[in-house]
Amino acid sequence: MNISALTGIVTMVFGLIYTWMAYSMPRASIGKPMDHIIFPLILGIGMIFCGLLLFFVEGRKVMEGGEKREAGAGLARDTKLIIFTCVMAVLYGIFFERLGYVLSTTIFIGSLLFVLNGKKKWKTNVIVAVLFSLIVYIGFSRLLSIPLPMMPILQI
Amino acid sequence: MGSIMSYLLLGLKVACQPINIMWVTVGGILGTIIGMLPGLGPATGVAVLIPMTYAMGPVGALITMCGVYYGAMFGGSRSSILINTPGDGAAIAATFDGYPMAMQGRAESALAISGIASFIGGMISTVLIIFLASPVANFALRFGPAEYCLLMVAALAMTATMAKGNVIRAFISLIFGLMISTVGLDSQTGIPRFTFGFLELLSGIDFLTVIIAIYALGEVFKCFKGIEEGTKKMQTKFGKIWITKEEWKRCWRPILRSTPLGFLIGALPGCGGTMASLLAYNNEKQFSNNPENFGKGEIIGLAAPEAANNASSVGALIPMLTMGIPGSGTTAVMMGALLMLGLQPGPLLFQRNPDIVWGLIASMILGNFILAVINIPLAGVLVRVLAIPPKILYPIILGLAFIGTYAISNMVSDFYILVIFGIIGYFMQKADIPTAPLILAAIVGNSMEVYFRQALILSNGSLRIFTKSTICIVLLISTVFFIALPIFRDTNLFKGKTKKAAA
Repeated sequence: MNISALTGIVTMVFGLIYTWMAYSMPRASIGKPMDHIIFPLILGIGMIFCGLLLFFVEGRKVMEGGEKREAGAGLARDTKLIIFTCVMAVLYGIFFERLGYVLSTTIFIGSLLFVLNGKKKWKTNVIVAVLFSLIVYIGFSRLLSIPLPMMPILQI
Repeated sequence: MGSIMSYLLLGLKVACQPINIMWVTVGGILGTIIGMLPGLGPATGVAVLIPMTYAMGPVGALITMCGVYYGAMFGGSRSSILINTPGDGAAIAATFDGYPMAMQGRAESALAISGIASFIGGMISTVLIIFLASPVANFALRFGPAEYCLLMVAALAMTATMAKGNVIRAFISLIFGLMISTVGLDSQTGIPRFTFGFLELLSGIDFLTVIIAIYALGEVFKCFKGIEEGTKKMQTKFGKIWITKEEWKRCWRPILRSTPLGFLIGALPGCGGTMASLLAYNNEKQFSNNPENFGKGEIIGLAAPEAANNASSVGALIPMLTMGIPGSGTTAVMMGALLMLGLQPGPLLFQRNPDIVWGLIASMILGNFILAVINIPLAGVLVRVLAIPPKILYPIILGLAFIGTYAISNMVSDFYILVIFGIIGYFMQKADIPTAPLILAAIVGNSMEVYFRQALILSNGSLRIFTKSTICIVLLISTVFFIALPIFRDTNLFKGKTKKAAA
């Protein structure tokens, strides 16, 4: 199965779930009961149709040179980096308001820098992370008066 | 006609007072900086500055806001070109060819043409607004909900068929974008749709979050692959920020074609710069002899949307000033400011406060010159971004993406939406699905549905309202044409003919 066929199937399943969810939404008590459902229904059906079309038109074409699969020894380096970034981003979200902008951002950017840039250049990493969060913090909260969460105790 | 000239002179007299020249310069510089930050576009820029404008009086306030608006339009494309992260919706089209140009070491030309095209687009449309304000306003009044809905359908179909790669994939992306816009509390019935019980999703997903996720995060994820081998070269030598004669020869016609287009679309309420720049981009791709160069660093693909983008920001002032209907988010904020200053936009504004209206228009002429002058040297500083090694630049882009998202909504929950859409964007790239249709759909989806439902209410549920007026029929025919075009283009019959014709 090539990537087009897979995309087609994913699209179709997504369309089906979306259509089903749209149809099973509660009906409106004022105005026309289906008023808010028609548009999503059209979209869902369109999505299913596109998935079918992709599956049958593109899915049958044989990919040139067969499937290119990267050597399966564990996850590739870039996949690991993406997963690491996402995990750090979720942690960043969790601690953003508790630690305050400056501290949480320094940790977030710093951790990414340590992984990407290497431990040997730790001085650059620390300087970039601290400077970035301080400059952004001052720029946003002082100059643009967009409030950012403050660090506990220190109040910056 | 004579009265227009005398009013304009009056306006120029107001705008050329030293204090007002200073305000427009300060506004322009601030706007450029705000526009460059991801997530902060002209609307935020103007909104943030509202408190400052109380002290200035109505004329000074309006002139400063215009400077910010203009500056943000100039600045938004800077980050699109240099780090593939559009500052706001209107700057998306600048990533298509601007970023590839920067990757090929032509960032100087890209920044210069973007400034020049913006300047010409803004300048010509300022002249247009002087003479066309009232006729354009009258034409826009003939657009009802059905016409607006079809205009959006036509624009979406056009973007989908013009996108890189396969048409079916483009439509999948398009529908997915529209689906994103259906999330949230339905404004007419008050029923939550697709919120999965999360309170944070009731207000919907902001399209700016989606843009930042797909462009900034998606780009960084994509580049992780080459980061170890160091395939992405850094640029360490920089030339002068200017374009060659040959580049100018290729660009001036597209710029002149895109300016009136952008102006007209900007004058339609609810359309704004994003649609103007994307339509201009698609338009030029149609006209081009080698459309396959688009998306690979074609300078025309940058010049056209930039001109349209600035032209539309001027055009958007027409419905706001003449009818009191804001054409975009930014003009809505500006109108709010006007109302707070005690001025009621509408036809009467031209009669009661001619000094304000014409002072504003004259300050646009002035603002254009000043921004062009400060932008070329500013670009020389900004281009140094490319000298930062990618291993350090990518974490910084991620940091900017998150702070930009937070600045939009002040909600940490948007961080998770950002991550989710970043991953979706990454997989879309893997599956060869173009992202531009998704973005445009997510931006216009909400108003498209509102117009669709309004049209159906007007017609009592009959679809015939979509074929009633001439504008509707023209729009329908062009939609069908855009969808059918790639099918014709791909059939062998047509290919044979073009080959013969070329021979």
